[in-house]
This record gives sequence, C-alpha cells and structure tokens, in this order.
Amino acid sequence: MSNNQKKRNFQIEAFKPKEVVDPKYAEKTWKILENAIHEIYNHIAGGLNLEELYHNAGGLNFEELYRNAYNMVLHKFGEKLYSGLVSTMTLHLKEISKSIEAAQGGLFLEELNRKWTDHNKALQMIRDILMYMDRTFIPSNHKTPVHELGLNLWRDNIIHSSKIQMRLLNTLLELILIERTGEVINRGLMRNIIKMLMDLGPSVYQEDFEKPFLEVSADFYRVESQKFIESCDCGDYLKKAERRLNEEIERVSHYLDAKSEAKITNVVEKEMIANHMLRLVHMENSGLVNMLLDDKYEDLGRMYNLFRRVPNGLSTIRDVMTSHIRDTGKQLVTDPERLKDPVEFVQCLLDEKDKYDKIISLAFNNDKTFQNALNSSFEFFINLNSRSPEFISLFVDDKLRKGLKGVSEEDVEIVLDKVMMLFRYLQEKDVFEKYYKQHLAKRLLSGKTVSDDAERSLIVKLKTECGYQFTSKLEGMFTDMKTSQDTMQGFYTSHGAELGDGPTLAVQVLTTGSWPTQPSVTCNLPAEMSALCEKFRSYYLGTHTGRRLSWQTNMGTADLKATFGKGQKHELNVSTYQMCVLMLFNNAERLSYKEIEQATEIPSPDLKRCLQSLACVKGKNVLRKEPMSKDIGEDDVFLVNDKFTSKFYKVKIGTVVAQKESEPEKQETRQRVEEDRKPQIEAAIVRIMKSRRVLDHNNIIAEVTKQLQSRFLANPGEIKKRIESLIERDFLERDNADRRLYRYLA
Amino acid sequence: MCKQLDRLVVLDLPPGQVTRALAADFAGVAFVRGTQPPFTIFKRVKFNIGGKIFETTATTLANAGRNSLFGAMFDDNWNLQTDRPDEYFIDRNPDCFAVLLDLLRSGELYIPSNIPEKLLYREALFYGLLDHVRSAKWGQFDGNRLGLSRSVTGRAPDDGTAIRAGPDGGCCVAHGSMVHVYDWMLEEHPPINLDYQRVNDIGWIDSDGIVIGACERLGRGDSGMALFNASTGELRHRFHVTHENQVKSYTAGALSFSSDYKIFSSCKGRSNEYGIGVWDQATGQQIDFYYEPAGWSLGDADKLQWLHGTNCLLVATLFPRKDNCYISLLDFRDKSMVWTWSDIGALETVDEKRVRDAIAMEDTNSICVVNEYEDLGFMDLRSSVGSVRWSSRSRLMKGKMPDEPCYPKLALHEGQLFSSMNDSISVFCGPDWVLTSRLRRSYGGSICDFSIGGDRLFALHSEENVFDIWETPPPPII
Repeated sequence: MSNNQKKRNFQIEAFKPKEVVDPKYAEKTWKILENAIHEIYNHIAGGLNLEELYHNAGGLNFEELYRNAYNMVLHKFGEKLYSGLVSTMTLHLKEISKSIEAAQGGLFLEELNRKWTDHNKALQMIRDILMYMDRTFIPSNHKTPVHELGLNLWRDNIIHSSKIQMRLLNTLLELILIERTGEVINRGLMRNIIKMLMDLGPSVYQEDFEKPFLEVSADFYRVESQKFIESCDCGDYLKKAERRLNEEIERVSHYLDAKSEAKITNVVEKEMIANHMLRLVHMENSGLVNMLLDDKYEDLGRMYNLFRRVPNGLSTIRDVMTSHIRDTGKQLVTDPERLKDPVEFVQCLLDEKDKYDKIISLAFNNDKTFQNALNSSFEFFINLNSRSPEFISLFVDDKLRKGLKGVSEEDVEIVLDKVMMLFRYLQEKDVFEKYYKQHLAKRLLSGKTVSDDAERSLIVKLKTECGYQFTSKLEGMFTDMKTSQDTMQGFYTSHGAELGDGPTLAVQVLTTGSWPTQPSVTCNLPAEMSALCEKFRSYYLGTHTGRRLSWQTNMGTADLKATFGKGQKHELNVSTYQMCVLMLFNNAERLSYKEIEQATEIPSPDLKRCLQSLACVKGKNVLRKEPMSKDIGEDDVFLVNDKFTSKFYKVKIGTVVAQKESEPEKQETRQRVEEDRKPQIEAAIVRIMKSRRVLDHNNIIAEVTKQLQSRFLANPGEIKKRIESLIERDFLERDNADRRLYRYLA
Repeated sequence: MCKQLDRLVVLDLPPGQVTRALAADFAGVAFVRGTQPPFTIFKRVKFNIGGKIFETTATTLANAGRNSLFGAMFDDNWNLQTDRPDEYFIDRNPDCFAVLLDLLRSGELYIPSNIPEKLLYREALFYGLLDHVRSAKWGQFDGNRLGLSRSVTGRAPDDGTAIRAGPDGGCCVAHGSMVHVYDWMLEEHPPINLDYQRVNDIGWIDSDGIVIGACERLGRGDSGMALFNASTGELRHRFHVTHENQVKSYTAGALSFSSDYKIFSSCKGRSNEYGIGVWDQATGQQIDFYYEPAGWSLGDADKLQWLHGTNCLLVATLFPRKDNCYISLLDFRDKSMVWTWSDIGALETVDEKRVRDAIAMEDTNSICVVNEYEDLGFMDLRSSVGSVRWSSRSRLMKGKMPDEPCYPKLALHEGQLFSSMNDSISVFCGPDWVLTSRLRRSYGGSICDFSIGGDRLFALHSEENVFDIWETPPPPII
C-alpha cells in the first residue's frame, strides 16, 4: 500500500540525479587528461619539473588526474578516453619520429635510445593516471592494455616508419660489421637498442633485426672463409674459425638476445666449417693426416671441438683417422724390413698405439667412438700379418728373458698390459697360445725367465681375457717345474751319498700334453751320464708307479769344466747335444763327423748345427775343424782347440738356432694349430646343437664363429667339414625334408 | 600482480642499488635519484579522505603494491617537486578507506555492518585494491571448515540444471535455456543463452570465458556449443562439428577441458556425429572426433572428466537412452578405449545399485561411483575391465527420501571427496574415505548440482530457485 503511494509521488522520481550533469563533462575532462599527457611528454623530453607541470596542467596533481580518468570510465566514457589516448600518443610519437629522423649520422641511435627511454617513462606515468581504465574498461572490452598499447604504437610509428626502419637495420648491421673488422663500438648503446626491439616483442626482434642479421652474417662468413681457405693452412684456418665463433658468442652475451646464440653460431659453423670440412681435412701438407703425423695436439683438439658442432663433422675426422691408421699399420705389418726383428716390430705397434691413445686423450676428448675406431683399425691391420701372434709372443719372450731386468714391478705391469691390449686385437689367439707355450717352455727349461711374478701375472691376465681353458696347460708347466725341483731334492737326499763326486744331474719331469714336445730321437748319452740317468729313472719310477719317462735330450743343457792346452780352465755352458759331442774328446784326439754321428746318434741337422756352434763361432770355438770353413761337411774332422782362450771363465756356447721360426717350422706350427682347432670346432658344434636340437647351416656357422671368436676366427669351410665329420659319426643328421637343416642325435 | 612482487622484492636490496623503488622510499632506506633529494625520508603519510584525516606509515602503503593508486602516487615520477604537501587529499568515502587501510595494515578484512559490501568493493576498485579484498575475504578451501556465506536467489522460472564455480570465486548457473553469471562479489552479469535452447552443461575455460553445451535447434542446423564472455555475456565463438567436410548440427552434452587448451564434448548429431568432439580453445576449430563404437553410447555421455596424469578422458553415460550404463577411459592419441566398465548383466541381480555419478581419482588409480542411495563404490583403474566394489556405508539413508529426490553427485577437491544427496553434501577424507563433515541447509529442497572452485563451494537447489555459497573462513587471529 505504501509502495503504491510512493510510486505515485512524481516529485521523488524527478529529483533522482542524472549521472552526468554537465553535457560537456566528457569533453572537458578529456581535455584535462590530454593536456596532462602532453605535459608528461614535454616534461620528460624537456626536463620540465613537476612543479611546472603542476602549473601547466592547470593545477592538477596525480590524485586529480587519476580521479578524472576514473570518472570518465565510471560514466561510460571509457571508449572516448581510450581512443583519445591512442590519438594523443600517436601524435607525440609522430613528432618523436621526426626528431629521430633528423638526427645526423652517429647521433641517430643515440637519439632513438634517448627517445625510447623518455617514451617508457611517459608511458609509465600515463599508465598510472589511467590505471583504473587499464583495470576495468580494457579487459572487459578486449582492448590492448596501456603499456602494450604504448609499445605497439612505438613499433608502428617509430620502428616501422619508412624513414627509420631500414636506417635502423642498416646502422645496426654496419656497427656489427665494424666490430667484426676489429674496431670498438658503443656496446652499451647497441644493447639498449636491441633490448628495445626485444621489448617490442619477439617478432619485432626477429623480423626487424635477427633475420637480416643472420643473412648478412652468412654472406660475410661465406666470403671470409673463402678468403681464408685460399690463403691459410689448415691449422691457421681453424684458429681463425674458432676466434670468429667465440667473437659471435661474446657478441650475443653483450648485446643480443640469448636465443640468438644458437642461430648465429649455426651460421658460422655452416659457413666456416661445414662448407669447407673436406677441404680442410684433406688440405695438403697441413690437413688432418699431417696433424696426426706431427702430433699437433692443439690443432687436432681445435679441429675436434669445431667439427663436433656440425653434422658429420666428427665422423669425417674419424674416417680420415681410421683410414690413415689402417694404411700406416698395413705398411708396418707388411714391411719385410720390419719382419726381420719381431721385438722391434711389436715395439713399433705399441708406439703407434701409444701415439694415438695420446692424441685421443689430449685432443679428442677421450671420445669413445674414436677409441673404438682406433681399436678396430688395429684389429684390422694386426691380423693382416699372420705372424703377428708369433711376434707378440716373441716380444713377451724377449721382455721376460732380459728386457725387464732392473725395471720396477709397476713398469712390468704396464708393459704386460700393453701386450695384452695387442693380444686382444688378435683373431688367432690359439696361434698365440701355441707360440707362447713354446717360448715359455724354452724360458722355463733354460732357467732364463727373469721374474716368476711377471710370468704369472701375464698368465693371470690371459686367464681373465680368455678363460681357464686357455691357460690350464701353461699353469701345468709351472707346476711341473715346481714338482721337478722337489723330485730332484728327494733324489739327492736318498742317493746323494753313493753318487759322490760324479756329474750332477738336474731332471725336469714334464707332463706330456702340457708341454710343446717335438718327436725326437734320444741320443746316446756319455756313459757317466747315462748311468746317472738310469739311477734317476729307477728312483722316479720307484716313487711314481705306472709312469713312463722318456728323455728329451734335445731340450737339455749342461755345464762342463774343461782344461785346454796351456792349462786354461773354463766352464762351458752348452746344450745336451753339445755335451755329448765334447765328452767324446775325453777319449780321442780327433774325430771325424761320421764317427761323432755314430757315437752320439744325434739327428744329422741338429748335429750339424751343434758342431757349427762349437767349431765355427769366433771366440767360442772350443773345437777346431779341418778343413777350416763355415759349413759342416760330412767329411770334416774335428780336434780340441788347444789355443782356445776367453776373457771369461764361464763361456756360454749357444746353439745356432734361428730365434724366429724357419719356414718349415712355421708350416708345422700352423698345421698343428689347424689340427688343434678341429676338436674345438666340433665341440662347439655339439654344444650348440645339443641346446638347439635343430638348426640351419648358416646359423650354425654364425654361432660357432661367435663362440670361438675369443680364441680364433673359425673358417666356414672348416666348420662345414667338421659338420660333415660329425654327421658321419652319427652326432648329427640332415633333415629329410629340408636339406639345409641339421638335427642333433642324442 | 607481478609488478607488485617486484616492488616488494626491492625492499631487500642494499640502499645503493635502489633508484626508483616506492617501497624503499617509504621505508626511509634510500633517496630518490641520488643527486637532488627533493623529498627524502618520510616515514609517515597524512591523507585527507573526503574530509577525514588519516595518518599511516609508508610501509603500510607499500603493501598496496606498485599496481595501485598508492603505488603510482608515491612513485618518484610523480614526486619531483621540492616541497611535499602536508597531506594528500583524495575525494573518496572515508569509512571505506578506513576499512581498506586496516586491510593494508593487518592483511585482514573486517567490514562493519554499516558499510554495504558493494560500496566497499567499488572503493577498493578505485584504489586498485580489489585483489587484496578478494584474497582476504575468505580463506583457503577446506571441506571440513566450510561455513555458509550467502544464499543467492535467482529469477529463473525453471528447475536448475547445473552450477559451475569459476576460477576466481564467481559462478554460473544454468536453468533450462538460460545461464546466469555471477562474479566473486556475487554481482550478476548479463545472462547468457545459446539460441534459447536447453542447456546441457556449462564450464569455465578461464576467468573470462564460459562454454555452453546446448540442444540442437531443430530445423536450423545450429546450436551445439559456444563460448561466451563471462562479464559482458557476448557470444565469442560457436564451435562446429564437421563430418566429411560438412558442418553438421548437433546437441552438445557433457563438457570437459584439458590443461593443454582442448575442449571435449559429447555430441549427438543427425546421422554419424555420435561421439566425443575435441576443439582447440585458441583457434576454436574442431581438431578431433571420437566416433562412437557400436554398442557403446559415447554421444549420450552425462559426464566427461579430463585426467591430467594419464592424458585420458573419462566418459560416463549414466542416464542412457538404452538400458545400460557405461564408463570408459579414452586415449585420443591412438583412438582407443584403455579402460571400460558397463553394468550389462549386473542390473538384474543387484537392482538398487544403479550408478548415478562417477569420478576418476588419479591419485589412487580408481574411479569412485555413487548410486541413488548415496552408497559409494570404487573401481580399480589398473585392471583393464572394471568391477564395482561397493562400500555399504549409507544404508541408513534409505527409507526417508524427500518428495522431490535428486540423484547424488560427486566432486573431488585436493584429496577430499564430496557427495550430494537430497539437501545435504557429505565430505569424505582419508585413504578409506571416512565421512568427516556434512553441509546442510533447511531451505531450498534437494541439491541438484554443486561445484567447487575459487576456494568456494556452490550448491544449487532444485525446489527453490536459490544457490548457496560455502566458504572457509580466514584463519583464526591466533
């Protein structure tokens, strides 16, 4: 009821105040704000102080400006305020643009920078006044916020103005060019200008600067790299490229966007490295091969670090290095001069390996792929020479005989480790084993080994590398040596008294199978000796029943005391054969070759060698030969050389033996190796077939090869033969339906 | 806000490095621009607000941040004159200023009963302090500490369809074909409609954008789904479904949004357009469509939920045109259903356990479902075919159903599970989902929908045209 009354009361309705009283309110308020914006620009540009601003702006202060802007928005004049802001700011920016355009030469950038700083300051103040609009009107009407608007207008009216855009870009690029030629530029100013472009948005920076910058840089480096490559050697070129790269990185850190670093270094990499990669690597007299030859670690390191930045860079270096190592290695292992001295040969390999290890560690950052390339290269060329296993074993033999005298334990280990490294490259490890066994036997039997520890250490290494099976026989040899020592002690304890002053006997009892034995004929020992030997035989067989002893007279040594014509006394260190020959002269003045051969029954080639070393070697010629000549003839006659003299009391008379194997011996070893491989291949086949039951031919070959590769590289033809042999012996059968399949027969 | 942080950080810098820091000036730590100190240290500031004098310290004002009236006013850009005024005059309401000054001093908001909230908000907006008011108004959300803050009565003629909380405390409410939008101050903005077609689902893609999924407008090849400006109500974009390069008309059902700016909606078209459509929020273009496999109703789905951890979409069809309910997880990358469940065959035996809502809980790799008696059930997502393990917690509820019952709805918020039933909302916590709180209000009848967001819970009643706002109060003084 009362409501009705109120509604009827027109007076109250009429008194409701309108939102804006003054129809010119909006225009007036805008004028105040517009004036304030002008004053802000003038004040900042002209250094007017706020007091003047205060007066010029009609006595307004911040609070009043803020309130005016607030009221305009509140009274729905936001649109007017906003568009007024756009046009006023545009007006100012157009003027600013003119003053920047008018700036002469070098002042251009400075003026631009100064105006930019001013604009930012003004923008901040304008935004302060219009804060309420920024907060309410702008988001709900999808307008650009004041700050962003200020940047956009600056971009459109200044940076993209036709008279500034190209000039700015050219100025910037020119300054960078000047800096590239080594002069100093105002980096602070550059930084400010670039920062401005970045503040205007990533697209402005990219389109108005970065893209052209990269293009110009590409041109610059294309020309420069062409000039360098014509005039510099590889090392110098790389130095220059590296310096350029660092300069560009430094430039980015000083005044460009950090994101540009990858892009500009990409340009330098492409123009200076990628485009000239092959030419650099193969550069005559200074390319990669020369660097490798001369151990130029610094240059190599530089090349590595630069090339790694470009696609295929490292593989290019690696390929050239690999083929170089393969070539030089191949030359090395096939050079007949080198083959004359196995120790020198292996030392060369080790030196070569050391050289490249050092290069890889110093220059190539210990790159795994480079190490692999090095290893595969060594593997490649070492196996080109079938005598490599023998030579490596000879090298070890040399080292263990004498080479390691006076060398510390650590150094011994280093040498042995290096040898093991070469050993790893070998494909025919079983051949190495054969030779190693022979050489070890000789060392052990002649008591020539320098260090038991070193010997055992190497065997442990071989064991970890190839397994128990590989070294079991070698270890057996060591056991035999030890047992023999004990046996001899036992022999002399029980028989010592009855033997008296007679010759001393030291017997090494070798287990058949563990040692490399040559089927040899036992020679006739001198009576004294053979009696002693018989005693030992009966002693030994008495303690070890069921064994058989056979004398290996070709492997023994003897020490003889001899008195010559004028009473010169010497102790002669000779082989068993030589002893047998010399002992004959206790009972005879002169003996013919035939007589000696008859009495000793030493096989003819051995006897000839033995006589040669007794009669024909200068300084060691305890026998005289008639007629005097270098070779031993069937009709020669031998006498004791009464005039024999020597500075030493002990005289070692070596047998003339080739340390290296002779051709027939080599053939023989090879044959034995092949023979030994057969059971191993068969065992592998059976092992594989037992677990697989059925397998086709190609897979058997592959698996057998894989299983045996730690010992040797099995020949597919040989594997095939073994399979056939196993089929004959009913271990396997061919599948009836598919002839390529083999079946295991349990 | 970012600016504001900047300013506060500056306080910690040694004096020599500060050049134009408002906060530092006020704190009396540094001079402005070294050479000529026009005004030096002023620790105390005097204001004349609408005739009433206030005195405060510079540090208190620094709490307003640079992006406020005070921040600008005391920036050295505006303070180059040599003599400072004794007091700063601002032509505003002194009572509200007192409240806001107190907010700057203590960080807490206390509104005396004689000041209308709306007045205070307006004043705060003038000073640029509205964000401060907003964050001091109510505390961080905790389902167990909620209190009823307000009830808002609308003018819609129809039953409520859905209510959705906005990201910063506002909400939108769908009634029939109309969507009413409220900001965090609960000020109503212009309502939204899509060709006045029945609205099926609504959702906020950000603080200023609302997507509406609506029924097809028969005979016009239109409607479907559209994006609106939340504050102005204007239509910003209409999303289309194209099939074999032809734009098709469709009905949009349930909606969901992913963190990588995709919009998902269940779609029903005229012929082949049954399934789940995917659109890009930025371009508004359709980018994918998961066609409904035979015997599976995706187009009828009532609930979609994007799973951020597994990049899958949960699709639940619980009120189907056919007889069965389906829940599945779709992987759009290879167009596969990585997990499925349906109640085919299960219904005859346990008739009362009809699933009415489902929600995936990624932390526990499970899906929680609820039946019409508010029994909760759980399914393991790790076994590829789901089966429900019911917990028979709430059988007590049976028998006392209200006249106009509403099906239960589920929500999950930071480890707390919410379930609406009739006129109350239950809160469950802990690994075994123990009932910890119950929200109830006597007026308005059953709750037909509720939503949590912007640290608020909104509950829409079905009988009366009213929705409630539940908030966690600010932390206690001590």
